[in-house]
Amino acid sequence: MDIAVSAHSLTKRFGRREVLHGVDFEVQAGSVFGVIGPNGAGKTTTMRCLLDIIRPNGGEVRVLGQDPRAGGPDLRRRIGYLPGELFLEGRVTGRKLLSHYEAVSGPVPPGRINELAQRLDLDLDRHTRKLSKGNKQKLGLVQAFMHQPELLVLDEPTSGLDPLIQQEFHAMLREARRNGQTVFLSSHVLSEIQQTADTVAILRDGRIIAVESVTGLRESAVRHLRFTTSHTAAPDAVALLTAVPGIGNIEVLESNGGVTLSAVLEGAIQPLLHALGRLELTDLVLEEPDLEESVLKMYAMPRKEVR
Amino acid sequence: MRHPAGTTLPLFRRAFFDSWRSTLAWAAGLAAAAFLYLPLYPSIGGSDQMQEMINALPAEMTRALNYDQIASGPGYAQATLFGLIGFLLMSIATVAWGAAAVGGDEESGQLELTLAHGVRRVQVVLERALALLLRVLVLTALAFVIVSLLNGPSQLDIDPANLFGTVVLFAGLGLLTGTSALFVGAATGRRTYGLAAGAAVAVLGYVFNAVGRQSPDVEWLLKVSPYHWAYGNSPMVNGADWASAGWLWGISAALVALAAVALEQRDVGA
Repeated sequence: MDIAVSAHSLTKRFGRREVLHGVDFEVQAGSVFGVIGPNGAGKTTTMRCLLDIIRPNGGEVRVLGQDPRAGGPDLRRRIGYLPGELFLEGRVTGRKLLSHYEAVSGPVPPGRINELAQRLDLDLDRHTRKLSKGNKQKLGLVQAFMHQPELLVLDEPTSGLDPLIQQEFHAMLREARRNGQTVFLSSHVLSEIQQTADTVAILRDGRIIAVESVTGLRESAVRHLRFTTSHTAAPDAVALLTAVPGIGNIEVLESNGGVTLSAVLEGAIQPLLHALGRLELTDLVLEEPDLEESVLKMYAMPRKEVR
Repeated sequence: MRHPAGTTLPLFRRAFFDSWRSTLAWAAGLAAAAFLYLPLYPSIGGSDQMQEMINALPAEMTRALNYDQIASGPGYAQATLFGLIGFLLMSIATVAWGAAAVGGDEESGQLELTLAHGVRRVQVVLERALALLLRVLVLTALAFVIVSLLNGPSQLDIDPANLFGTVVLFAGLGLLTGTSALFVGAATGRRTYGLAAGAAVAVLGYVFNAVGRQSPDVEWLLKVSPYHWAYGNSPMVNGADWASAGWLWGISAALVALAAVALEQRDVGA
């Protein structure tokens, strides 16, 4: 598959402060690539580098096969961008603002703007500066999606949107993906990335500390386990469980009559099932993987240990 | 080819038409000032009583206010309209427009989105400078028309050719303050710095002219006063110094080019 966006050893300094210390990633064309990280990790800076709004101090960036600076306006017409903080203060209506951007980056298929506005429940005839934060965000989304660009770069796209509109936005992302568009989006909420992205990159302190497929992340994620067994003494059950790779935090919750144990599993499920098969179970709960927990762990880990 | 019909120079159109209220307000102010001052000439500038009063003022003061030429119609229009109230209004308008064009737009966060679209930075600066130029021309043309209209009724006795030369200098002076604000705003990304730079050009130009005319010892101040370049030889009376006009317009054009280069070189919104 083609690479739609890539960065190699991307560095950026503002004055003496270096905010990106060599960021590396590749985004497959036609995929949804999510970047997650705490505030100030460098998500917005990375995105601005893709749009040639700021210029890197080092490293190489390729967007749709071109250097963003050399690509110029023709390259940017192929990108839809939603800034992380959207300021629309003019005394113009949403409709006029959109037709301005259409004149700059168009063409936009006829009816497309109305269709998007309707889907997002946005009134295009109000003055932009009177719009609420959520409505400004909708206008920003329409502006990014309307000309059906090959690449969408969306910085915190759902901030300010209510849950219903967020769902509509996720549907728009799925459509974009079906149409072969590539999406590069950031969030500080994992569940959003989890729902929409194929691949997730974790950015911390100006470095990518992990790139994983969402499925991979799920596999490696921490699962909480609890089971009750009869006919087995607590120490034996603990011994059996300890032998399973990736098991930790074993706790005996109850040991008179049936024995109830809890533990966390990090890794493959098959060995666990194998071990449990030897027990007489009366209850078993294997929770959904908690991606949030594993990502938070990566945020906190010392640098070298991650991957 | 990419643009549907009627959408050439989209940035210029947006900059010019979205600010029509502001243009209209400044035009109304300028017109009001002209209609207030010029019809008073027969009773003020031309009267012997007024001349005696002006003679009684300290010479330094009349020179500073350019009232030494107030006795003739062209001199009166020069000193009151183009040299004082019109200059003031034009300067404030152009400084505000120039500072907002790039620096203000960046500070409010809106430039980032514009630059993410299919535009060049040079194009952003040039089209917005063009909008500034057109607004200055609107004000200038208005001043020309109003002075021409009042020329007869107010007994000003102004030579239309000299009036034309003066408004070219008037526009040049406005452009210089406006493009100074534009350049500093584009170079720093700060509206306030742009405002300060534009205001400095206008105010210092005026002050240097007023002080420079006081004594040969400080005459050098006149050389660095754009205000004096424009009005030093009383263009309404003596006709425009076209070389000065060339400097005012030329430096303005150079400042626009510098603004484009400055914006092209740096990070936006960082």
